[in-house]
Amino acid sequence: MGVAEDLSSLRDEALDSVASANDLTALEAVRVAFLGKRGSLTSVLRGLGALAPQDRPVIGQLANQIREELEKAIATRRDELASQALAARLQAESVDVTLPGRKRSPGKQHLIHQIVDEITAVFVGLGYCVAEGPEVELEYYNFTALNHPPEHPARAATDTFYVRDLSDEASNVPGECDVLLRTHTSPVQVRVMERQAPPIYVLVPGKVYRRDVADPSHLPRFTQIEGLVVDEGITFGDLKGTLEHFVREVFGSTRRVRLRPHFFPFTEPSAEVDVSCGICGGEGCRSCGGEGWLEVLGCGMVDPNVFSYVGIDPERYSGFAFGMGAERIAALKYGVPDLRLLVEGDMRFLRQF
Amino acid sequence: MRVSLKWLKELVDIPVPLEELIDRLDMTGTKVETVHVLGERLDGVLIGQVLTKDKHPHADKLSYCTVDIGADEPLKIVCGATNFKAGDKVPVATVGTILTGGVTIKRAKLRGLESQGMMCSARELGVGGDASGLLILPEDAPVGVPFSEWAGLGDTVLELEITPNRPDCLSMVGVAREAGAVFRTAVRTPEWVLTESGSPVGEAVDVQIEDASLCPRYTARVIRGVTIGPSPDWLAERIVASGARPINNVVDVTNYVMFELGQPLHAFDLATIGTAQGRASIAVRTAKPGERLVTLDGQDRELSAETLVIADPCGPVALAGVMGGAATEVSGRTVDILLEAASFDRVSVSRTSRRLGLISEAALRFERGVDPELARRASDRAAALIAEVAGGRVAPGIVDVYPLPAKPIELTLRVDRMNALLGTTLVEEEVRQILSSLGIDVAGEGSVLTCVVPTFRPDLAREIDLYEEVVRIWGMERVASTLPGGRARVGRLTKEQRVHARIGEALRAAGLNEHIGLAFISLTDLERIGWTFGPGEGPVELLNPMSEEQSHLRTTVLPGLLRAVSHNQRHDVPDVHLYEMGTVFKTAEGRKLPRERGVVGGVLAGSWNRPGWNDPAPALDFFDGKGVLETLFDEIDVTNWKMRAAEHPWLQKGRSADVIVAGDVVGWLGEVAPPVLEAYDVSGAVTVFELDVKPLVKAVATDVRYREVPRFPAVKVDVALVVDDSVTAERVGQAIRSAGGPLLESVRLFDVYRDPEGATVRRVREGAKSLAFSLTYRAADRTLTDDEVRSIHERVVRKVCAAVGAEVRS
Repeated sequence: MGVAEDLSSLRDEALDSVASANDLTALEAVRVAFLGKRGSLTSVLRGLGALAPQDRPVIGQLANQIREELEKAIATRRDELASQALAARLQAESVDVTLPGRKRSPGKQHLIHQIVDEITAVFVGLGYCVAEGPEVELEYYNFTALNHPPEHPARAATDTFYVRDLSDEASNVPGECDVLLRTHTSPVQVRVMERQAPPIYVLVPGKVYRRDVADPSHLPRFTQIEGLVVDEGITFGDLKGTLEHFVREVFGSTRRVRLRPHFFPFTEPSAEVDVSCGICGGEGCRSCGGEGWLEVLGCGMVDPNVFSYVGIDPERYSGFAFGMGAERIAALKYGVPDLRLLVEGDMRFLRQF
Repeated sequence: MRVSLKWLKELVDIPVPLEELIDRLDMTGTKVETVHVLGERLDGVLIGQVLTKDKHPHADKLSYCTVDIGADEPLKIVCGATNFKAGDKVPVATVGTILTGGVTIKRAKLRGLESQGMMCSARELGVGGDASGLLILPEDAPVGVPFSEWAGLGDTVLELEITPNRPDCLSMVGVAREAGAVFRTAVRTPEWVLTESGSPVGEAVDVQIEDASLCPRYTARVIRGVTIGPSPDWLAERIVASGARPINNVVDVTNYVMFELGQPLHAFDLATIGTAQGRASIAVRTAKPGERLVTLDGQDRELSAETLVIADPCGPVALAGVMGGAATEVSGRTVDILLEAASFDRVSVSRTSRRLGLISEAALRFERGVDPELARRASDRAAALIAEVAGGRVAPGIVDVYPLPAKPIELTLRVDRMNALLGTTLVEEEVRQILSSLGIDVAGEGSVLTCVVPTFRPDLAREIDLYEEVVRIWGMERVASTLPGGRARVGRLTKEQRVHARIGEALRAAGLNEHIGLAFISLTDLERIGWTFGPGEGPVELLNPMSEEQSHLRTTVLPGLLRAVSHNQRHDVPDVHLYEMGTVFKTAEGRKLPRERGVVGGVLAGSWNRPGWNDPAPALDFFDGKGVLETLFDEIDVTNWKMRAAEHPWLQKGRSADVIVAGDVVGWLGEVAPPVLEAYDVSGAVTVFELDVKPLVKAVATDVRYREVPRFPAVKVDVALVVDDSVTAERVGQAIRSAGGPLLESVRLFDVYRDPEGATVRRVREGAKSLAFSLTYRAADRTLTDDEVRSIHERVVRKVCAAVGAEVRS
């Protein structure tokens, strides 16, 4: 049997081995067995010198051809095996994508403060700053300087919380004591006008207190948002335009606004502001009590008496003020049916907004 | 204020349908709160004619009738009344009718005979007081026609919200005037003829007023020889429509005139008023110590020294402006009437009515203010009406004590100034017209008007008040909407306000939900948590709390947060993560207003979430709370902070800390002490914290600057150090940092090891723990060599071991 035949059967044997190698390790073993330093094809090439000179080129060429063929087969087989292995790994690693993910749950801002922030942003956009004041107030700021006469019913101990005055034990009778929980954010109007000369453009969000038992539509402590503008040339039309802008921003551009004349001690002229019902569009339905309108805020031009308490000249300056309850907006805009939900801290409620 | 539309239309022309009337009243400041349609209940009552009347075969007192109601067949009706005969026309309630008082007419058997309806008395129909027999209708009443239609009973009553500045609108005449101004239509004032006869009133009555400021005017008339009885139907109807109850003809007249003109009146039985020198002697004065009065409602009331009373020589006979006395009231035996029409101080009436809890229509009007000018007119009107409906003779003249006459005031209205304030361009003529329609006399030329305000409008005291009148009648909806112009201005939030917002954002990012609690607590809350106050400080007490549980203002948000956890746990919500930002209060000795402090508090209970297929959801503890605060400080750029073990009565000892920012204690963090949990009905571990906001805001770094992002590789070396249990992680970490020098970039504690209780093989000596740190070395300008790092690290470990008594764990 000639060398050429030996080579040919070696080739067949090697190709068979490559084809039957089932993993990369087996394939490497095949490569070493045939092409390694001591591999069988390598030894054939090493033995070329022993051949007859005329046979050497032929055999040499044949052996090289076989080596190249073998190397190619191994490379091909390696790729095949690698992609098989990858496919197997991917198969093994596949998941049920419908299983729940690992969720991080950031907290929610309280609905009332979302409303406050939203409204604040609207007025900061109109050039207002945010002012604050104490929750325990003097009767002077809460009532007197806001033009409430001494016998105004809101001053009664049935309506307003009074606080023990440690500087004057004698007057600690509800109704006589002059320290109280503010019943509206309006005292901040007075404080701002006392410390700042016009122009004044402020928004005053804050907690206020009324002596009400908590029920679906009342809370003894709730949130008001008050606005005050004092400048030269401020008109009732400015008040109207400002509130219309506010309503469209907060309730939506399709809602209509109407000012209904009303009475407040600290504004003149005064009005209540109604927004067209979002459910019936003003036709009248159950949610607006058939009226087509929802009352959302009170407003008016700053009463000259209030200006006189803070020493602002009403002939030179004019101004307007408005106030609304954030809880009422929560009820109107988000459909919260019972205000007590807002203060219970129930996670199932807080997480909804 | 209830306004009968039928009545209103007698006083003023209403040229629009009901819906538009309501809208216009709403839009001019008289809000229509409710609309009642009267007469509905009488829907099934028809006019019938009695065809036959026979005796009931089984009952002596009943009759058995056939009644034609215009239907094919006459009804068969069993009746108990006797005042009628065949041929009479009567109101018949057919089956299904609901009568006043809620009685439903049903087909019924009465003593064996079926009755198919009911013939009615005036009382049964709610149209009069007479219940003695059937209401016999005139012969020309049309059979088969609904009774209410024939009798003109159908009426609409508007319930108006009258704002406190408009006492004049608490009367039909006032509302008519308002409607007249709104629709520019004619207003008709009620007219009457008063005939006087007999001896003059001055011979019968004497009136003294003690203090004119409490009673600016008191008038008295006398009507002799009246017959007390039920009011005629038209009067009773109006009383009912106005929301009162018919009582008798004289009392009903006083109420009628009050509803009509706005002047409360009171009728005394003249015979019951004590006399002096032969005349009924009336004094208007404050009550004397110990005086009492049994009022009309039968209550025996003790009078305080500030109560204004009407008195005769024997004592009080009425509470001025609030309620009359029982002993002097008009009764069936009354013959002569003393009629009071007076004006009382608003505050005095308001105090008396509140103190005694007596809210009457009269008191309501006096509280708002009754025009003293009205008394005489109202007295005349009522006297004429009493004579009309109760008979009697009106004594000539009126006793009219009027020490403080009301005077119309004069105001100037500058049309230009008004337009400048309203943003309108009204011309003088429009202004003039509007004001005149409201009863204001306008004079003056050009754009400056002189306005004389009638005494019935006490709310119009300044120029600005007239602007309001003009704009509300002209129409607020017609004012053009603008935005303030003025000088340039910027809207901005202060640093405090912005940091405040960022604190909330950071806590939400850390997983906490915002809670807003009520700010009330009780002393029991403070006891439960063991809260203590500094010298001179204390809880802020409410003088008139709603309940004992809400008797004070909170000094901490902790009780509110624990209540919220309890609420959630009671509703099967175990995982609670809340924060609250708000005010807490404490008193400071001698200070009028308490100190208010902004705090941020938080609470963690349960786990971050329920365990999942790939998430064990460990129970939250101290370190989750600490992690929240670490996130907070990172997010708001507060770097100078640390925690120090501290004890607080409401926190579990050994799992609680003070939070120190910029060297000051600003709050606390810890797990709630078990007895406190129990007191608030909370189970499981609960971690809470509370920080003062102000020092946090102050500590926020404002000059955050770029630091170079490393370009050269770092070398990480781990070391485990065994130290005594008493040595804190913070101390070891600090020792490492101070030994590390500039090349030590960061230190991270990644493991804490103690031998488990009762371990047989000790890995760490007793009373010690192993702290494993990962140290990162890096140079900003080159790659560190292994040798360099090795020598630095060895030096660091050596120094740390010496500093804190540590040894390297092998």
